Amino acid sequence: MNKSRFDSVFAAIALTVSAAWLVAWLAGFLIDTGSWSVRLGSFCAGFLLAGTAAMLLYARGRQQYLAAEQYFQKFCQPGRQDTVGGNSEDAPTPLKKNNKWYGITQRVRQMLDEYRERLQDSEHSRTALEIRCRRITAQYKRIEAILSGINDPIIAIDDYDELALANPKAERLFDFDSQSVENRALGNLLHCQKLVELLTSTSHRKTTGSRTEEFQFSDDGGQSNWYRATATKLVSADDRSDGQPQFSGAVAVLRDIGDQKLLQKRNAEFVSSVSHEMKTPLAGIKAYVELLLDGDAEDEETREEFLDVIDSQADRLRRLVDNMLNLARIEAGVVNVDKQNRPLNELLDEAAGVVQPAAEAKQIELVSDLSPMYLGVLADRDMMLQSAINLLSNAIKYTPQGGRVTLRSRLVDNEVQFEVEDTGVGLSEEDCRRVFEKFYRVKKNKEMAAGTGLGLPLAKHIVEDVHGGTLTVSSIEGQGSTFTITLPSSGQMK
Amino acid sequence: MSKSVLLCDDEIHILRAAEFKIKRAGFDVRIAGDGEEGWELIQQRKPDLLITDCQMPRLDGFGLVKRVRENPETADIPVLMLTAKGFELSQEELAGKWNVKGLISKPFSPRELLATVQEILGEPVATASTSA
Repeated sequence: MNKSRFDSVFAAIALTVSAAWLVAWLAGFLIDTGSWSVRLGSFCAGFLLAGTAAMLLYARGRQQYLAAEQYFQKFCQPGRQDTVGGNSEDAPTPLKKNNKWYGITQRVRQMLDEYRERLQDSEHSRTALEIRCRRITAQYKRIEAILSGINDPIIAIDDYDELALANPKAERLFDFDSQSVENRALGNLLHCQKLVELLTSTSHRKTTGSRTEEFQFSDDGGQSNWYRATATKLVSADDRSDGQPQFSGAVAVLRDIGDQKLLQKRNAEFVSSVSHEMKTPLAGIKAYVELLLDGDAEDEETREEFLDVIDSQADRLRRLVDNMLNLARIEAGVVNVDKQNRPLNELLDEAAGVVQPAAEAKQIELVSDLSPMYLGVLADRDMMLQSAINLLSNAIKYTPQGGRVTLRSRLVDNEVQFEVEDTGVGLSEEDCRRVFEKFYRVKKNKEMAAGTGLGLPLAKHIVEDVHGGTLTVSSIEGQGSTFTITLPSSGQMK
Repeated sequence: MSKSVLLCDDEIHILRAAEFKIKRAGFDVRIAGDGEEGWELIQQRKPDLLITDCQMPRLDGFGLVKRVRENPETADIPVLMLTAKGFELSQEELAGKWNVKGLISKPFSPRELLATVQEILGEPVATASTSA
């Protein structure tokens, strides 16, 4: 029997004896069977017994109270992790079942454990929400960075036709700040009716799918450019029944198609130029064939003359087609290039030999001022020869009768240079800038030569794109022009 | 006296072919290599018909026609235009703006060119009734 149990039993016996004694004493007093001293002694003994029992009962209650207090103090220590039924080291010693505080402590403990669990659940929820919030923030920043990084303007509207989103490129193009703008109505922000109509009509369509519109837009600086806008209807996913309102609207991605339009224009100009250049010799051939068929050439001499014209015009047509094909092949990079170490001066001598008859026919002095040094270049023979011939024949064409064309070569700063200088009609500044464009013909000199308009562009492609050199021109109107080709020397390239 | 036709074109072969065909039909034909030369010949002697190419050095066909129309003495000369860029030019626009009688696309038929010339000028040699 442990002490508290003994105390309880003792207290119960003492109380019972005291009560019996009190009854006996009162009964003895009433029947008057004892002396006063016996009565007083027995009263004191009974009083002592009852006092002892009361003291013991008080001590026991106090002890239980202290145990319960200690229990709660331990239980409520901050940071304690155990719950009901937990068995961690810092767990409070459970109260004995005979402790009168046992029931209440159990209930309080259960309540506290429940609150503790709820608190822990809340903390878990809060942590999960914080993580989700951080993820959403990171995702938003990522999307924002991606939108900022996209070089195409992007604009989205909601189903009220108000601005929902615009990336910085769109803000710059249409000159607004989507964060600070108050009136978000699209018509107020975009001064481009076609785009506004495209976005709003796409947003209100019943069907999804993209629509495209091309338009020209002038920004605040007056710079006009072409854009292709592709608008797509936006609808948030139907399966998300999370109580959030569904978003709908439209988004447009604008693509700068200025270069494309320019290319289209240039292509159209190119086709127009090609057809014009081809029609001219064709017109000659057709006219003279018809004259022959109609019997207009009555004598043999005239017939011969007509046939010569047809022949020369057919040659011109062939040259034009050859040049165009060569140019196209070089531009497309499909031509076979056979670059080998070659002596430049030999190539230039050969080119001069080819154009010599044409120079003599116009009494033009063809001067060859070639370097005595060996100038090695890593070059495709046929191509480099073609370039030199094109430059020389061009110079002869645009130099009046009796003029002079000089062919020079030299080594300059480890680079090989050759130039063709003429005493011809010269070129204006604009001509110098555009003379390498396909079919560009210097108008005022056109009567001097019937070229294809492709000789110089072809030479430039050969020198710069195939051989990594440069072809430049300098000229003084009325005095002559100098075309200079600079190539890396083959020694340098080894 | 034969009716005169002035031909302007910077392509000498075309010029020669047209000249040959029209001259052979009995017309008086003069040729010029560009607009400036053509204008000089017009000032020397007014032709009955001007046939000019559009693209020419120094002074193009449009510049020449403009000069012809702006000068009261030459404003009434009928004009035919030759061009290798037919699709870029509108015959109606040319007719309305410059009173151009016709636009002939290259490559052209000398035979058809002559027929158009004859349609505009009639017989090569002016008769008493037409020359009055």
